[in-house]
Amino acid sequence: MGLGGAALIAVVLAVVPFVASITGVRQASQIVIGVLAVLGVNVATGYGGMISLGHGVFIGVGAFATGYYVDGLALPWLLAIALGSATAALAGALVGLPALRIKGIHLALVTLGLAIVFQPLSKRFPRFTGGVSGSGIDAEFVSPSWWPSDTRMATAVYRYLFCIVVVGLALWATWNLVNSRLGRAMRAIRDNDTAAAVYGVDLISARLQTFAVSAGLAGLCGALQVVLVPFVSQEKFTPQASLVIYATAVIGGLGTIWGSVLGVIASTIVGKVGQAAAGADGFGPIGEFLDLLDESAFVFGVGLILLTFLFPRGLAGIGRRNQVTS
Amino acid sequence: MTWNFDILPDFIFNGLSLGAIYGTVALALVLIFKATTLINFATGELAMLGAFLVYVLHMEQGLWLWLSMLIAMALSAGLGILIERSLTRPFDPSDHLPVVLITLGLFLILNAVAGDIWNYQVRILSNPFGKFPSWVPSVGGDRFIEVFGSRLKYQSIGIWVTLALALFILGLILNKTKAGLAFRAVSSNVESARLVGVHTGRTLGFGWAIASAFGTLGAVLVAPQLGGVNPNMMATILIYALAGAALGGLDSLGGAVLGGILVGLIQAVLVTWGGVVVFGQLYMSILQLAAAFVIILITLLFRPSGLFGTRRVERV
Repeated sequence: MGLGGAALIAVVLAVVPFVASITGVRQASQIVIGVLAVLGVNVATGYGGMISLGHGVFIGVGAFATGYYVDGLALPWLLAIALGSATAALAGALVGLPALRIKGIHLALVTLGLAIVFQPLSKRFPRFTGGVSGSGIDAEFVSPSWWPSDTRMATAVYRYLFCIVVVGLALWATWNLVNSRLGRAMRAIRDNDTAAAVYGVDLISARLQTFAVSAGLAGLCGALQVVLVPFVSQEKFTPQASLVIYATAVIGGLGTIWGSVLGVIASTIVGKVGQAAAGADGFGPIGEFLDLLDESAFVFGVGLILLTFLFPRGLAGIGRRNQVTS
Repeated sequence: MTWNFDILPDFIFNGLSLGAIYGTVALALVLIFKATTLINFATGELAMLGAFLVYVLHMEQGLWLWLSMLIAMALSAGLGILIERSLTRPFDPSDHLPVVLITLGLFLILNAVAGDIWNYQVRILSNPFGKFPSWVPSVGGDRFIEVFGSRLKYQSIGIWVTLALALFILGLILNKTKAGLAFRAVSSNVESARLVGVHTGRTLGFGWAIASAFGTLGAVLVAPQLGGVNPNMMATILIYALAGAALGGLDSLGGAVLGGILVGLIQAVLVTWGGVVVFGQLYMSILQLAAAFVIILITLLFRPSGLFGTRRVERV
């Protein structure tokens, strides 16, 4: 599955700029960076065994922070993106502190609470978030001088490629991380924390690092959102959005890097099909119902329930047996 | 900083009535947690759907409000049974993740369905306790009576009486009926209950039914305070109810009610009245939300069993 699939994805990604319109390229960029947030949930839940229903919060922190660094502090883009992601990682470590004691379903409760509180809270700090209506960022991520053209399409393609490179690097880094000492510690804690502690794993530092990495990935997704669209607003960071990210991670398959990519691909395809179905006319009362398929939340809800019944290990777990994922 | 004690009773009354509503929704959470040790994240959305049923029956079809509420509660109970039977029973109750995912999926589906049918606008739903009924002798006004120089709203009194009545009925069901006995048996020990011949699945369905009915009741009572019903109405209420349930102890029915009331009081007195004292103005919603979150966090960190819940010995 791995190599062939990766090659197929690479081909599709390479073809997009040649065949798609400018809107298509921009949409493709959004889909690509969505992998990061899902990967973040996967690190915390799939590898670390800590349920996070609030990863939309870390995307938000990453986006707001990057916007502030690049606009308010006039930092260069690359630095702002790195710092934005780091700010989200810091926020993640703070949220990880209670996760040291709170486990399982109680942690789900706390993180869902965080997701619900974040939106009204961010309205209160308009200096960073633009308040209720959001704010534009007075800096644009433009292509460097060696880039062949500076038309709008060329800029969109440059941003698209930039996102692919960043996401690719993040996937590679996460792959290395979960196969490193910390990654083994994470899985040991997930499967049995007492046993892990007995074998000398430092539970506190491992849990905090897991949460920080996980939130940092989501924050990177937020930073790249600002790269693509220089505008930040609390409107996007609803509790439902957080749940959809969690659902995508579960649908793709927890505990495998590949699962996060699969989840995003599957959700994109299902979303497109849903849109097409919602656009179809002439079905009478059924047509009314088809409109629901345009609601991504609805599609994800149904997908989540179906997947739980049919493939408890997610899409990446199809055809694979005897792998323990909690 | 002025200690404005004159307005304090107002805040206390308000806190007690909002708290009673949080307690009602918290009860819906705890009824399911007690039996299955899982949190039904769709509680709020199920309750929202119930409130919309009342909206359809009462505002659109013109049925009597109380009759609409009873029908909506019965329908919610039926939906609860249906969900339990079709979506949660196939899974091993000791494995939490699948069922959590199911309830999260329901959260998303119910919210989207309601949004599709009724849009995301706020729709006015009549207040069951708007004005005193005509047979009550007039004291002070038609919407409140004066106590300690403050206004005790008819709405607050109505909410308290309704909740007390609902709790009384719940107590009767749990303590005097066979289904109630089975429910208590299952929530105290699933394995033993099964061994003595209790049909656990059906009993859990019974729990889902009562929980959904209570959720609907809470949503209808809270609607006037939110200006009406809308698909996202329960998001914040769910947080307050979760705070109440956590504070009271997730497996204690009485604790849920008391916890809910405590959360309401903390919001009204510490946050709102205290906010007026310290800042000289109202910083209502965001401080209240933050307070609820802090209550959840502190309770789970320092006393995971809550005030009245069963303490568990846990490995570290």
